[in-house]
Amino acid sequence: MADFNVQVRGVGHVSIVDLKGYLDAHTAPELESTFNKLIEASNYKVVVNFDELAYISSAGLGVFMAYVETMRENNGDIKFANMKDNVYSIFDLLGFPMLYEFFKDEVEAIEKFNNQD
Amino acid sequence: MLTKLGNLATSRKLENAIFFSIVLFVFKIIFPVIESTVFLFVNELLVTGAVFFWTLYVIDFVHSKITAPLSIVLNAGILNALIFFIISVSSAIFNDVADIGSKTDFVYTIFSTLLSFVFVASLTYIFSAFRELFYLRQKRDPQKYFNTMVLFVFLASISNSLMFINSDLDFLKNTFYVVAIVMISINSLRVSWIAFMIKKQKLYLLIISVVLSALFGINFALTLNDTLVTDIIINFSPALHTFLNLTMIYGTIYFAIIFFTALFHLPTAEAFDRKAEELSSLIDLSKLVTQVFDFNELAETIVSTTNKVCNSDSSWLVTKKGNSYEISSVNNIGYVIADKLTTAILDENSDMNELVTLNQRSIKVKVKNDLHTVNFNALAIAPLKVHDKINGYLFAGRKQNMKFDVDDLKAVGAFADYAAVALENAKLLEESLEKERLERELEVAREIQSKILPSRTPVVKNLEISALFVPAFEVGGDYYDFFRLSDDKLGFVIADVSGKGIQAAFIMAEVKGIFESLSLLIESPKELLSKANEILKNSLEKKSFVTAIYGVIDVKEGRLSFARCGHNPLYISRDGKMTPYTPNGIGLGLDFGSKFSDNLKEMEIKLNNDDIIILYTDGIPESKNTDMDDFGYERFERVILENKNKTLDEISTEIMQRVSVFSEQKAQHDDITLVIFKWNFNNNLTGEC
Repeated sequence: MADFNVQVRGVGHVSIVDLKGYLDAHTAPELESTFNKLIEASNYKVVVNFDELAYISSAGLGVFMAYVETMRENNGDIKFANMKDNVYSIFDLLGFPMLYEFFKDEVEAIEKFNNQD
Repeated sequence: MLTKLGNLATSRKLENAIFFSIVLFVFKIIFPVIESTVFLFVNELLVTGAVFFWTLYVIDFVHSKITAPLSIVLNAGILNALIFFIISVSSAIFNDVADIGSKTDFVYTIFSTLLSFVFVASLTYIFSAFRELFYLRQKRDPQKYFNTMVLFVFLASISNSLMFINSDLDFLKNTFYVVAIVMISINSLRVSWIAFMIKKQKLYLLIISVVLSALFGINFALTLNDTLVTDIIINFSPALHTFLNLTMIYGTIYFAIIFFTALFHLPTAEAFDRKAEELSSLIDLSKLVTQVFDFNELAETIVSTTNKVCNSDSSWLVTKKGNSYEISSVNNIGYVIADKLTTAILDENSDMNELVTLNQRSIKVKVKNDLHTVNFNALAIAPLKVHDKINGYLFAGRKQNMKFDVDDLKAVGAFADYAAVALENAKLLEESLEKERLERELEVAREIQSKILPSRTPVVKNLEISALFVPAFEVGGDYYDFFRLSDDKLGFVIADVSGKGIQAAFIMAEVKGIFESLSLLIESPKELLSKANEILKNSLEKKSFVTAIYGVIDVKEGRLSFARCGHNPLYISRDGKMTPYTPNGIGLGLDFGSKFSDNLKEMEIKLNNDDIIILYTDGIPESKNTDMDDFGYERFERVILENKNKTLDEISTEIMQRVSVFSEQKAQHDDITLVIFKWNFNNNLTGEC
């Protein structure tokens, strides 16, 4: 099956989640556990970097929906960055841009977090 | 010939035996004393027949008790004692033959004949018993040795009779007699069955055999003396007397040999018992491995058998769970102690691929504030290996100061192997059960889906309708429906529930209920979808959402109004052009606040004649080929334009064909739904509204 990989980096108070490969119903639990760990460590400011993500299914989208509330309640957020056009169009179609912030580059997203503080 | 007779049905053997006995009895009553050669010949023929068939019959009976050789020995012994009793009592009462008058006296004849029959019966049983014991536990067929012996016993017996005719034949009798004794001695050596007795049985046998050997010896001596009984037997049949003689010799020799064999086997009896127990535990375990589905239950048995067979004091089994080890069962050791010991040992010896033995190991464990020190003098650890993968370890520990010997270690290894197989079996079973459960779930989900989707498209004036649904292997959560709102208005919905399987199917069922009821209450697509979002708030999981397009077609006015919640664009094909319509709208369930309705736009389109409205789910544009390329929108648009003049059903089929050609080898990953309308004001062919 298609590969999927999640890695977390820390830039200041912000956690960067790098996604790689195919995010679908089978790989979504891996991302879920990443978010659980972030919440356990009280890291609520999250930027998801989509640079190397090839595909996202509805189950993959669901992961963000499941965790965004917790992040926002704790003065944090999930922001999206470096999304390719084909992936963005999926988010766009669903209306995600009305509910989430999208950035061309993760630096902008980090800056946005930092400006808030 | 003999084998053939041996194969006779038991009832036939009995019939023959009884026949010969009755004839013999009658013959004896008529001719109590044999005076001529012819009579002697007939007499011996009858006796031989009776003895032969009785033996055949008794052999079957004895053979049924073959699993308990000790009881056969005991029975033979009792009969032998009976013979002893009869001979000694009769000798004591009647000192002289002359005491009981003439041999031709009728009472005497009856008495002596009956007595002889008792002897015949006892002898046949004793002889059959010897035969069964002889064949017991023999690996090779020793038939010819036994048959040769029987032959010589027979010849010796018959030649004894011949002496009555001509006493010069003495040498013949003696020769056969000696050969028979030699054969008896040789055959008596086949006593390997003793080895298979447990120690207690061997002891028991030791005592019985010395008593029986002596008793047979005494009987032999008694039958040589000139007692009343000897006289009666010789008068009854000289051959029977020799047979009696030889049988007594057989018993004397045989039981003497049994005595010594049992005596020599006694020191090894314990080791033999242990081996036997090991073997039977292994057999029991191999049965259990295939029968017991609960691994823990089997693990209990394995540790307890390990302790029993390997003479260890404590035994426990650990299995691998992820990266750590977990105690599965313990015997004669506490869980906590076993756990601590295991962790300590595994930390030191990370790579135990083979069976390992350790010396001297103490562990201090605090249980309820008491410090316990557990000390093992020897430990054996065997890995549970399947396909070179270690799934756990079997531990055996000895507290007494004695190392494990080679046999103990072999046993520990064997038990570990069984545990490994059982563990693997249990895992496979669990997997197959899980698979079965998933399949059953899939079936249920498919059934729900097939019941939710409309069974046929409605017939509406001015409107041609085609709907196509192709389910994926795993239910994808696609849903479409039509609602007749009034004579001129038709409501429609196409939706896609996120996720798959039974969960998606349940949400689908709920979505259907919501749209069915709301379509009757609310005319505006935007308002209807906003209300639907509010209702779904209570039932949708955080991570689930539903994309949908709800619309109403006014077939009289030629007007389409619709709103889109995160769903793929609605297409209209008009004048050779495909136009996607993507009015703003967030997917149902993504936001339950005001953002949803704030961002939801309703669209109204005035339809022209022959406009084709195309609704679909992402199964079509996201169909993938083996290179993971999408079918995409361009191909989709092209197929429709190329076929726009065909009927809607033909267009649907064409699209599906193109999708399946494109994705060729790749299994359909998601449900595919396609709903197409064509409006034509003048088209009434489709019938009444």
